Amino acid sequence: MKNLPHQNKDLADPPSRNPRPIRNPFEEFKVYSFVKTDIPLDRIVESTEVVMDEIRRGYEKLLEEEAKELVWMVQYNTIIKAYEVAERYVKEIRYSAEDIEDFCFALEDTQRIPYLIPGPAGLYISALSNYAQEAEIVLKLSELKTEINLLGFRLPKGKRLIIEGDTGDFTGIGVEGGELVVEGNAKNWTGAGMRSGKILVKKNIGLHTGEWMMGGEIHVEGRVRGLGNIVEGKVFERDKLVYPGKARYPSLYY
Amino acid sequence: MEAERNGYQKQIKAIYQFISEHLYFNRPDIEVKGEHYNSTILFSILTGLKKGKELIIGEPGLGKTTSAEFVCSLIYQIPLGVIWSSEVSGHPEQTEEKIVGRPDLGKLNRGEEDVVWTNFTQLPAKIVDEINRLPETKQSMILDGVDRGNWEYLNEMIVNEEYSLFATANYQDGGTNTMIAPLVDRFDVMVESRYPGANLAFMVGKGERKDQLLRHPKSERDFFRLLKSKIHYEKKLPKMDEISNGFGEYVHGTLGVKPLRREDRDQIRAEMGDLLMDLDASAFTRMLLAEFSFCERYGQKRSVETCEEGCHYTGYFCHEIKNCASNRLPFSIRQYAQALAWLLQDPEVDIEHVKSVVPYALGHRVQWKEEVLARKERSKRDDPFPIFLAKDAVRAISQRYREQSDHLKDALAAGSRIFQGEELEPLEGDHPLYQEIKKDLEGRRR
Repeated sequence: MKNLPHQNKDLADPPSRNPRPIRNPFEEFKVYSFVKTDIPLDRIVESTEVVMDEIRRGYEKLLEEEAKELVWMVQYNTIIKAYEVAERYVKEIRYSAEDIEDFCFALEDTQRIPYLIPGPAGLYISALSNYAQEAEIVLKLSELKTEINLLGFRLPKGKRLIIEGDTGDFTGIGVEGGELVVEGNAKNWTGAGMRSGKILVKKNIGLHTGEWMMGGEIHVEGRVRGLGNIVEGKVFERDKLVYPGKARYPSLYY
Repeated sequence: MEAERNGYQKQIKAIYQFISEHLYFNRPDIEVKGEHYNSTILFSILTGLKKGKELIIGEPGLGKTTSAEFVCSLIYQIPLGVIWSSEVSGHPEQTEEKIVGRPDLGKLNRGEEDVVWTNFTQLPAKIVDEINRLPETKQSMILDGVDRGNWEYLNEMIVNEEYSLFATANYQDGGTNTMIAPLVDRFDVMVESRYPGANLAFMVGKGERKDQLLRHPKSERDFFRLLKSKIHYEKKLPKMDEISNGFGEYVHGTLGVKPLRREDRDQIRAEMGDLLMDLDASAFTRMLLAEFSFCERYGQKRSVETCEEGCHYTGYFCHEIKNCASNRLPFSIRQYAQALAWLLQDPEVDIEHVKSVVPYALGHRVQWKEEVLARKERSKRDDPFPIFLAKDAVRAISQRYREQSDHLKDALAAGSRIFQGEELEPLEGDHPLYQEIKKDLEGRRR
């Protein structure tokens, strides 16, 4: 209505040149004080997306550097090197424990992350967990279809990592004083090379458990399928000490 | 609540009270803002006040026709005998001559063409008994009259400026026909005249001849004489009002209840018409209309098209129905919600009025998909199936509205601003109405 004089002039125009204005179907809402509502959830989703993009970029750079052909061999030096690369990127990101969990699920969404290579992925998640601000991190991974390897790598003292679901091979290797809880099963080489700390597996554990472990304790509430060559430390099966002990010998599979 | 201005609401409530206490015994089955009413009487009264069209369904002998007769008699001040004489009964042999009018045989013998109009066409209160016994081809005969109040015979026409239509329908049996969709859609509301329960039914059997209460032989004779007379229809109307006023005074004097004069009805309608819908009522109604008309794939619902598998809007009512809401639906909702708000002396039409009215305006108009009918058929309920389904729909849409009313109103307000030329983006949301807003704005931008 701000151009009323013009409107009068318009009315004099032939109808074909100046058709009558269409009625505003939302007329009555003109009086409604419309403010573009800032829904808190939108803000949370937006900031989460920003963090997730950074985490995803770090993982992609790790793959670019360490798994150029999308093949990654588990060797002592490749693990160390890949972890160092992961550490470098992770240190630059501000994230929370929930973001780590979101990343784990994003790994299975090929539209968000094209390649899931369980080794580097596990090392990257380990680096994220080790550098997270929270002392206790819970990763609810029971819905994941893929078992991720190398989770809990070099878990430092003062950290507690709880994994709901099963884990893959090399779980908790090189643990450095932290506490790793797996609420499902763990596969082979669990706790290999750990120095101190505690690993608790609520269900069963695979072969080579505690291979070359130098200290710390592994507690298994289910069955231990096989122990590795253990240097020092303790392994418990259903509260019963199986290493050191006479009943069980290294590399004896049962 | 607005202060009562002229006592009309009190007068209407007294009529309601009189009917429910002396003429039509039934249980209250609808609650609006803490007040309990019987839906059959309430909607019949609102129909009479709003010049509406009401379909009353129910089992035989449960007061479908008599409830309409009593309401018509008291709202329009017409003696019961006259109302009976004007009723059209639906049966297969019904003819246009019995419904609308016939040639004036005396004049025809003299070579002149003139029409003798039936009482049905001339009176403002119209009752069609057992409308679904009319064959489908004959239902079309009353379409135009029902819709616009235009009654044509030979080359003559009378136009009812004021009229309400009440039609009764039995449930399907051997003698009934399907009501054609255009006719069904013309009814503003559908109510069920229900069994009153064993105790009230016992009272019905015990009572005196309640028909006699609204009879008045002198007024009836005067009415018949006037209706039969050859004077022009428009000239008959003031005379009809005179006789009606006489009957009204008689009823007021003997029964203590005051029927409505023509000027009362006009005044009431004007007051109702002044009541505006508040923003929640408007947004809720739009939301409901969107769900009963929207189709993302085909542009709108059409009874000849079926939903696409995996459609994003599967959770909304557009996915559960076959047909599209007609333009008569919002009109009916607005009219009856206004009437209800007026009766309750509220300053504007709010969402509660709309929610109370919608099941009765929607029930007969929706064609549900077979799988929906099969899924809900055995649900425990008090209402007839179509009204039950409509109430269920209103409940679900109310829930959705509660969740997103602010955002929805924002989206409509943004739509208004964009429509007026502001550079804004339409708001996004997960409901068909947001898509409808965008469509309206696209149409504007083109």
